[in-house]
Amino acid sequence: MQRDIRKWLMKAHDKGNGSAEKKPPPPPPAETKPETPASGGQEGSGRRKTSKYFATDKQKPKDDKVVEELPVKRKTQNQSDQSVKPPPAKKAHRVVVDDDDDDDEEFVMPTKKKNAVDATPSKKLKSGSGRGVAQKLAANDESDEDEDRDGATPLKSGGRGRGGRGASGPAAGGRGRGGGRGGFMNFGERKDPPHKGEKEVPEGAPDCLSGLTFVISGTLDSLEREEAEDLIKRHGGRITGSVSKKTNYLLCDEDIEGRKSSKAKELGTPFLTEDGLFDIIRSSKKKQAPGKEDSKGSVEKAVPLQKKSPNKPEIKSQPPATKVAQKGLASGASPAKQKVQTIHGPSLTWTEKYRPKVPNEIVGNQSLVNQLHSWLKNWDAQFLHTGSKGKGKKQNDSGDKKAVLLCGTPGIGKTTSAKLVCQMLGFQVVEVNASDSRGKADAKIAKGIGGSNANCVKELVSNESLGFKMDRSSHPKSVLIMDEVDGMSAGDRGGIADLIASIKISKIPIICICNDRYSQKLKSLVNYCLLLSFRKPTKQQMGKRLMQIANAEGLQVNEIALEELAERSNGDMRMAVNQLQYMSLSMSVIKYDDVRQRLVGSAKDEDISPFTAVDKLFGFGGGKLRMDERVDLSMSDPDLVPLIIQENYINYKPDSAGKDDNGMNRMKLIARAAESIADGDMINVQIRRYRQWQLSQAGCVSSCIVPAALMHGRREILEQGERNFNRFGGWLGKNSTTGKNLRLLEDLHVHLLASRESNLGREALRLDYLSPFLKQLTDPLRTLPKDEAVQKVVEFMNVYSISQEDMETIVELSKFQGKSNPLEGIPSAVKAALTRAYKEGSKSRMVRTADLVTLPGMKGIKKAPKKRIAAILEPSGDGLGEENGETLVESEEENSSDTEDTEETADGGKLHSELQSLNSKGIQVEVELNNPENSNSKKKPAGRGRGGSASAEKKPTGRGAGAKRKR
Amino acid sequence: MLWVDKYRPKTLDQVLVHKDTAQNLKKLVSEQDCPHLLFYGPSGSGKKTLIMALLRQMFGASAEKVKVETKTWKIDAGSRTIDLELTTLASTHHVELSPSDAGFQDRYIVQEIIKEMAKNRPIDTKGKKGFKVLVLNEVDKLSREAQHSLRRTMEKYSASCRLILCCNSSSRVTEAIRSRCLNVRINAPTEDQVRRSLLHFFHSSSIKIPILLIETVNNTILFLMGLNDSLQKIVKVLEFIGQKEGLQLPSGFASRIADKSNRSLRRAILSFETCRVQQYPFNINQTIPPMDWEEYVAEISSDIMREQSPKRLFQVRGKLYELLTNCIPPEVILKKLLSELLKKLDEELKHEVSHWAAYYEHRMRQGQKAIFHLEAFVAKFMSIYKGFLIATFG
Repeated sequence: MQRDIRKWLMKAHDKGNGSAEKKPPPPPPAETKPETPASGGQEGSGRRKTSKYFATDKQKPKDDKVVEELPVKRKTQNQSDQSVKPPPAKKAHRVVVDDDDDDDEEFVMPTKKKNAVDATPSKKLKSGSGRGVAQKLAANDESDEDEDRDGATPLKSGGRGRGGRGASGPAAGGRGRGGGRGGFMNFGERKDPPHKGEKEVPEGAPDCLSGLTFVISGTLDSLEREEAEDLIKRHGGRITGSVSKKTNYLLCDEDIEGRKSSKAKELGTPFLTEDGLFDIIRSSKKKQAPGKEDSKGSVEKAVPLQKKSPNKPEIKSQPPATKVAQKGLASGASPAKQKVQTIHGPSLTWTEKYRPKVPNEIVGNQSLVNQLHSWLKNWDAQFLHTGSKGKGKKQNDSGDKKAVLLCGTPGIGKTTSAKLVCQMLGFQVVEVNASDSRGKADAKIAKGIGGSNANCVKELVSNESLGFKMDRSSHPKSVLIMDEVDGMSAGDRGGIADLIASIKISKIPIICICNDRYSQKLKSLVNYCLLLSFRKPTKQQMGKRLMQIANAEGLQVNEIALEELAERSNGDMRMAVNQLQYMSLSMSVIKYDDVRQRLVGSAKDEDISPFTAVDKLFGFGGGKLRMDERVDLSMSDPDLVPLIIQENYINYKPDSAGKDDNGMNRMKLIARAAESIADGDMINVQIRRYRQWQLSQAGCVSSCIVPAALMHGRREILEQGERNFNRFGGWLGKNSTTGKNLRLLEDLHVHLLASRESNLGREALRLDYLSPFLKQLTDPLRTLPKDEAVQKVVEFMNVYSISQEDMETIVELSKFQGKSNPLEGIPSAVKAALTRAYKEGSKSRMVRTADLVTLPGMKGIKKAPKKRIAAILEPSGDGLGEENGETLVESEEENSSDTEDTEETADGGKLHSELQSLNSKGIQVEVELNNPENSNSKKKPAGRGRGGSASAEKKPTGRGAGAKRKR
Repeated sequence: MLWVDKYRPKTLDQVLVHKDTAQNLKKLVSEQDCPHLLFYGPSGSGKKTLIMALLRQMFGASAEKVKVETKTWKIDAGSRTIDLELTTLASTHHVELSPSDAGFQDRYIVQEIIKEMAKNRPIDTKGKKGFKVLVLNEVDKLSREAQHSLRRTMEKYSASCRLILCCNSSSRVTEAIRSRCLNVRINAPTEDQVRRSLLHFFHSSSIKIPILLIETVNNTILFLMGLNDSLQKIVKVLEFIGQKEGLQLPSGFASRIADKSNRSLRRAILSFETCRVQQYPFNINQTIPPMDWEEYVAEISSDIMREQSPKRLFQVRGKLYELLTNCIPPEVILKKLLSELLKKLDEELKHEVSHWAAYYEHRMRQGQKAIFHLEAFVAKFMSIYKGFLIATFG
């Protein structure tokens, strides 16, 4: 009968239109297609117009084509699905009656299933491997599986639906994610729903979707992905990421031919449009009253089953301590007795009450617990009986280490596992945690246990405890648990070292527990320990355990809500249990929405990357965020978020600009945002420089929130080939380049000053001198014949003490993007000749600049002495006399030694001759200590020509060196 | 060697452009007690030249025997010690440095260096206690704290050291410091000075080339500005220089150079020489190569005028970054950008745009990340100009 599932969902919707109780659908949008309202009115009960997908008849054939691939399957499916799904293929005027029937069916089905399912986890308790989820759905899936078997053969020939992709892809390409593949790349481009917010989201019975599993694909008609997920979860449905056999529906409004849809076709999963989903939800509402009865019944039915659950632990092992708790468990199982139970143990928090009593109860990490178990079991055999050392080595390698280090995030059961395992093996547990002082053991062990705690530990690990019977075989074994070892802080000086020492001499097993395995403090400890990294349990595992607790306490919770709770608490079992208890105080029925609402505020702070924060601030929901949420987002990294925002705000097309033909509004908003960002910079200066930290909120508002509020909208690319993602803030890189160039410029500046030909400032050097320098240095190379040019340039460089590095600096700083390279057009032969000529000349060149030089005799010392040599240049005879630039270099040597003699009589001729013998090149340098007051007395001859070695050149000079050392 | 440096006057007597100032300074120094001095004026007007000449006047030729050092100061700032390094230019009689290079820690430099100088007070040949001179460059860039700490130390150690401060704008030097100094304004060369120095040149027999050259170029500047009417004289001067340097200088050409120089002597001479390197003999229509960065700023301004869109703003940001990484001070960029924009702007917008430029320049100094403020200015301008265009042309 019906070949196209879409048609049938459409029909179902029309039914909704026809029935009086339902609210009329929102009017079709006016702005996209002006003729739509008219035609919609004409067709009356015809096709629904809100979805673009159905707006044109042209696309219709395509729909048919898509579904035609699986004709056989559809039929079978329709038959089998009728028990689950409300919208049957029936004529419009029979609607009301049919709906009722369907709802009854639909509603009863899941609850029955639930009963069946609820039993499974308790039975499965022993295995504890998280299979519960799969089990739960098993009943649900039966029909699907049957149908799969039927549909399997035609599908194979259909071939994953890839063939149709090329043809239909472009037609659907208007929105949605281009081509399914490479979805991640295009993720940012997922379009807004075309009719966002235009439809009324229905309210249905709270668990009308329970037991159903959905997969969402592509863009929906009016809901954002997150909203749709929320809606489904609220009604008890489950969302998974990819299509599998257990998927009941693929929720999508258009066939974008991606992986999900082809997989769905392969498996015969029915497609469901958004409207269809709304219908399911809406139709459930009418039947709410009977539904409630049913759900009540389900709980009651659950109770007897629950009572069985504690049986397992009882059978397995019966530590006396658990008995009381079990009584609580059993009594808590029925809601009627709840009040009594709370009186019974009011002081016991649930985390204590439901702490696992046997290792198998621990949620997740079973293999690690087993590992711990076997390690502890073999410990005695391996380490205590030293005679059999060799044998011990051959045992499994987990026993190699004398201690074990458990690590993992808080609340996932490390301490509990450790204690339980010890308990199970009959060890006596001694726990030392952060509340005890754990400093280094006192040297005087005589102080004994009365002294510091560490002495206690020492005693403990080095002595054997004795039982009354003095029987070696049955003496009580003890184990030391060092909790929170990464928390050893200032008060616990030498704690880790002491712990290691203890491990070495220990005669009892030591279990160390920490949160952060990569903590610096633990680096040394890790070598002595067997490392067991606990992982966060999955949300299904946690949900299962939480369900047990909830049932034991008589709480009425659906599993989806618990999984949400598990997810929100980010793997922290303890926190999840606490939250559950807290919620149980105020309500006895907990729904998905309650969990959601309550935990939005109290959710664990999770690390959010600056990019995510910026995405959220600028994203579609950016306008709806609360102020405190915005502050939180921008404070997630108060340094990086403003930078990323500054880098990207231009890219956004603001929603608030409204209709903006010529981009005027957008430009205005950009100007305002830019000004606000600049405000943020000024505030930042106040915060950082003047430590006005109370301004940090204001800074965050002006540098992040205001720009985001002005500009949030859709991101567009400004450059060809740019990916539509937020770029990293460019300021950091540019700033460091600026810093580097400033240092280079300062080097050049120092050299110029040292040449004493000029005493200009650095700024003037950059602004006025650089271009002429460049001309002087490069133009001759381009125009004059090679030798002449090189000679001329080298002369010029000598006059101003410009080194080759400086020349590179000049060239580098004159480069502008989009301009030709200043060195262009200079043949490389000439460049090489220049380098040669410069090196040649450097043999006779004076040191004219402040160079960092290793003094003779100090070469072995690593740290460069903080001494500088500075050239003493000969005073120029008179200001104007030095026009003989050519002869200057040659004559300088004599001049300088002359002047040295005459002026530095303190040093005398002896020093001078010494200097000359030291320095065959006859280069005159003066070494000066930093403090000028004793510079005269400590003057030492030391020579090092600039050309003496090329490596001297390489050494960072002047400020550059300073900056490097600072880093 | 570049002509600017080659023909730089070395003594106060040789100075011609600011002859009055130079003579006054000479008198001041010869009367033994020299107050603190604050030189201010636009760049390229001769402040540094005057200061060097003054030092020579005070201490003789040995003042020119300078050495460059990178000094390290260990400063005890309460709980921690700060290591600061700064390049200084020092002779036995004076120390020159730019404390603003130390960023916001400049105040420690200012305090330390003066104390240090006070400690080792030089004794002159007559056994009298002398003083050292501390030359501080770019005082207007000093942070407020540094200026405050400067004002106390200036008084306390005035017996042993004199300060010569040098800056572009006195308005950014605090009142307190200005009142403690003898303020010397060195303006960009004016018509009057030039004419007098010209006369001096023609009448005195001992003409030195450097002064002549400076005056000539200077004169051409003023000639172009319509301030000087004695065309004939200038032509003669130019010809004279041409002979001295062995150049053929077309008269109109010199004035074009001067036009480009923005009344900065240094700029004029430098571009004069650049032209010489580029092409000789001179051609009246020869292109005078602009400074690379000025050219780039002009390009940015025409970009902005041509299109006002987010995309263009994004491109402009890239170009501004380019200028900043090439060490062009942001204030200079903003100023140049404004003047380029004003050239092409409609009259009625000029006032508003200038207002915003001033507004953002002020904020730039209070902030730290210059690009934010430059970009804000560009965005503001784009929004104003776009609105204007739409209002005018629809």
